[in-house]
Amino acid sequence: MKRPNWFTSRFEVINAVLIALVSLTTAFSVWRTNVVGSDAADASRQGLIDAVKNQAYENENYRKAYEEAGFAYQYAVKEAEVNALEDASSAEIRDRGVNIRQYLLPNMQLMGQPLTTDEKYRNADGTYDLEKRLDDMRSENTDPVDPSLSFKRADSLFSQQRWLVIGSILLAVSLFWLALAEVSREGLRTIEFVIGLAVYLIGVLWFLGVEVIFFLVRRGGA
Amino acid sequence: MSEIMETPVVQEEPASDKYKTLIVILTVFTTVLAAVLAALQADASIRADIANRDSQYLAIQASGELHRSGLEANYEFTVFGDYLKNLQESTILQLTALEQEQKGDDDAAKASNELAAIAQARADAGIKFSALFTDPRYAPAGDDIMPNAEQFIIDVNADSNEIVAKQNEAADAYQRWNRKADSYVTALTILAVAFFLFGLAQAVKNARMRLAFAVFGTFVILFSLLVSILTVIS
Repeated sequence: MKRPNWFTSRFEVINAVLIALVSLTTAFSVWRTNVVGSDAADASRQGLIDAVKNQAYENENYRKAYEEAGFAYQYAVKEAEVNALEDASSAEIRDRGVNIRQYLLPNMQLMGQPLTTDEKYRNADGTYDLEKRLDDMRSENTDPVDPSLSFKRADSLFSQQRWLVIGSILLAVSLFWLALAEVSREGLRTIEFVIGLAVYLIGVLWFLGVEVIFFLVRRGGA
Repeated sequence: MSEIMETPVVQEEPASDKYKTLIVILTVFTTVLAAVLAALQADASIRADIANRDSQYLAIQASGELHRSGLEANYEFTVFGDYLKNLQESTILQLTALEQEQKGDDDAAKASNELAAIAQARADAGIKFSALFTDPRYAPAGDDIMPNAEQFIIDVNADSNEIVAKQNEAADAYQRWNRKADSYVTALTILAVAFFLFGLAQAVKNARMRLAFAVFGTFVILFSLLVSILTVIS
């Protein structure tokens, strides 16, 4: 009579313990996959908030720049008018020019500042450098956040989630094979057990590999 | 005298293992299919999320660009309108001076000419600020006296139009991936029915019933496969 060996006699207990372990690992993997997915969604949301804030700053910069440009234009035109008034042959017209230069132009210059007052914004042809003014406005903004940083992080997390899902699926498949080994007849159960164990080990290695690779990639990118 | 009563013994039909291997193979196939579909569903869902985010980001950028182009166009056409007004004022005052000269009123003609020169000075100063006159793409060429305002409008809105086109593409991509993700969920739900049928097939003792459940389950798998293939190629 053939006596069952140590493994065969304890197969069901060993397999049950392994099933419990695989279940826990699968649950952990699914939890981790969801956490990564949630972090990716959070990073995307943060990126959108940053984009809205930045766009609001940029809109305000453009509004202000064109408002100043409008005042600066009015000042430049009025200055040309005053020059023409002062060049006139009629004394009354010249007096008008002198008074406008003395009382009106300074106020118009203040309205158009800093374009009209700061020489760094004045072009050689008498116009104003709006791009330079916009650049200065942007640099004055102490709270600029580049949304692309959050989007890059979100993309990386989404990619990690995608690979972790495959790990979770491998673990679920191994759980299925081990469960099959538990209920199958003696001839098949060893093969099913070996397949289940092999897929489980591949799943665990996959999970750890994905975690390590993305950790290193993100640390390298930071 | 005792009478021995014989109780009839019901002979239980021995449980048959017939078709059990087939059920196992079908269950394994269903599991693999479910695993592949779950991966495809997760991928489609992630792609939908990214496309959705991109479409929202591009919508923010498009609204900002529209705001900017509106301000630019408003500024340019204000300067342009002001230039035309000053130019016409100068011309009218010069004509007035001519009329006054013809009437012999030289003092009035001189005053009108000076006013015309002032209006012309304003126009000359203003023209420098107008991209419609300084940018060679729009400045009047040859015998034209009016700038190419149509080209200016096209150019000033070009960036916003480009962003809107990208936003539409991203929104379409979101719809497409979201539909795919939903279809994969449908296929997975159908597969759950197949799992249930194969589970029943494993549990029943009657071989013919087992085969019947296996056949139903196979039809369900085929339907799920059809949904999946249509989703992949869509």
